[in-house]
Amino acid sequence: MNKFYKFIDRLEDDFVAILLGLMTLITFGQVVARYGFNSGWGSALEITQVLFAWLVLFGMSYGFKRGIHLGVDLLIRRFSKPMFKLFALIGAALCVLYGVMFLSSDLVGFTGKGGAYKYWEIMYRIGIGMESISLPEFIYGPDVNLPRWVAYAMLPVGLALLILRCVQAFFAILTGHRDMIIASHEAEELLEQNKNVVGD
Amino acid sequence: MESAVLFGLLFLFLFIGVPVAVSLGLSSVLVIAIFSHDSVSSLALQLLNASQKYTLLAIPFFILASCFMSTGGVAQRIIRFSIATMGHFRGGLAIASVFACMLFAALSGSSPATVVAIGTIAITAMREVGYTKDFAAGVIANAGTLGILIPPSIVMVVYAAATDVSVGRMFLAGVIPGLLAGTMLMSVIYINARLRGMPKRPFAGMKEILAAGGDASWGLLLIIIILGGIYSGVFTPTEAAAVAAMYAFLIATLVYRDMGPLKGVPWRKEGETLGASAARNTGLLLKNVLSIFFHSDTRGVMVDSAKTTIMLMFIIVNALVFSHVLVGERIPDLITDLMLDAGFTWWQFLIVVNIILLIGGQFMEPSGLLLIVAPVTFPIAIELGIDPIHLGVMMIVNMEIGMITPPIGLNLFVTSGITGMSMERVVKAAMPFCAVLFFFLILVTYIPQISIWLPTLMMGPEIITK
Repeated sequence: MNKFYKFIDRLEDDFVAILLGLMTLITFGQVVARYGFNSGWGSALEITQVLFAWLVLFGMSYGFKRGIHLGVDLLIRRFSKPMFKLFALIGAALCVLYGVMFLSSDLVGFTGKGGAYKYWEIMYRIGIGMESISLPEFIYGPDVNLPRWVAYAMLPVGLALLILRCVQAFFAILTGHRDMIIASHEAEELLEQNKNVVGD
Repeated sequence: MESAVLFGLLFLFLFIGVPVAVSLGLSSVLVIAIFSHDSVSSLALQLLNASQKYTLLAIPFFILASCFMSTGGVAQRIIRFSIATMGHFRGGLAIASVFACMLFAALSGSSPATVVAIGTIAITAMREVGYTKDFAAGVIANAGTLGILIPPSIVMVVYAAATDVSVGRMFLAGVIPGLLAGTMLMSVIYINARLRGMPKRPFAGMKEILAAGGDASWGLLLIIIILGGIYSGVFTPTEAAAVAAMYAFLIATLVYRDMGPLKGVPWRKEGETLGASAARNTGLLLKNVLSIFFHSDTRGVMVDSAKTTIMLMFIIVNALVFSHVLVGERIPDLITDLMLDAGFTWWQFLIVVNIILLIGGQFMEPSGLLLIVAPVTFPIAIELGIDPIHLGVMMIVNMEIGMITPPIGLNLFVTSGITGMSMERVVKAAMPFCAVLFFFLILVTYIPQISIWLPTLMMGPEIITK
């Protein structure tokens, strides 16, 4: 089981790294194509934007898993241990609520207000295509564009993953495996590697 | 009513330790669900739209360029060059550290990264020649804040995206304030050094300046590519960022060889003839032209950059959702009317903005704070005839000061972390230089020419459409 989790960790790392790498290569390639060969690729910008959206939307849950999302811990750090734990749990629960509200607010009683899932469902029903990303002509025939629901699928999927990670974090805090859901400042990891390197 | 609930929930969530991004998004979605006729679906769509903004696309690329430039030897090369040029003044090593921070800021655009990269080397060097640890730490904590003011700066990209001003103009606007702030810090150190008789070094000689400069120039060329590319109209800022990321990657792996398959392989071995070295290096480059993309070092930097991008973009996306609700509820209009009816003049208004940002900067990440404050202050500023570029630079200098004032000053944390000094001691050490930056804030706030002279000169006067 442990091996399986390690594999998933690696897969997630690779996924975000590849999304970022592809974005960079495509945008750089576009500049080279324009100046070097006086040409370009019509759908480059739209593909880059979809990759970026996927990076951010998938990244939300990835960030919760790795504990890199920033928060203010100034106040709750002053509380006693049990109170601190209580607020850490409330924090995680509110993150779950965030995910549920955005995924579908109907689930928590705001009937008819919809959410990401509803938006995606509409896209799926009307089957509208992307502006410039076309599918390979030899399979689908000419002028068939990638349907929007495929590119936008990461919106509901990302939010669902976010809910999963926040529920996991909630139980990790409950059982004492994790301190809280937030990182207190953005340079935590950088500092970890450079702790006290300047001696006296 | 809605606005009171919106801000009330935001601050409540923030202070009980909910992530900043979730606080912004959750307060927005609750207000929409409870009070508004809008659907949550349209708000959820904002999560997607934010990442479709062309300007914001520059952020991951700048982060990537910065990560490649922060690996290993670039900081060392910049410090060597700084010491060669500035070391012979009294207090030279401290002055050189400020100069090194300014140069590094032009490569990285991140303040904590500047403090770590320059601080770890420079503080040790200053200790060795007899500066006190407090003095050295104070210098670095403050000079490190220049990261977000000297272009390219991620916070500037965010401001440009929020207010639709040109990224190129914002970058240019940061040049003179950045140089001014650096010069002010260096002057204070110099005066201090004269009074206290601090150490100086012998002049390193033109040969060392040229050698060190040549070595550092591969890295420093990055800033010329970015700014030159944007102002000559060769690239858009987003493309410039992608080119910078690619350039930084190639320099780090193939030229400096701080990482990747060629790590530690010298350009010229001892006793090797020029011809043999050229042949060997050509062979190496050809052999490794593909493997640099797949080396584990490259993967590590990519994952780190992706993490930073995710952390920042999650906040930005939710701040955009929040400001979407703000504007939807017409809150900026209300505040504008309120302010104008109360008869605020431009300088009184700027004082208010200063105070809001100095307080807000204590609790919020700069980009997120900017995205909430900008939609409210921007229309008022236009009504009062304040230049949007000037407003942007002023807001960024405010954020800088937020990084070195307690309780939550990011640079204070980082400095305390790398030196092992207590927070109180770092705060005290940073105080005198922080006063200098505060004086600098007053200058930037009330003399708009400092910010807008250069962009107007290079790009012509700005057309403001209300």
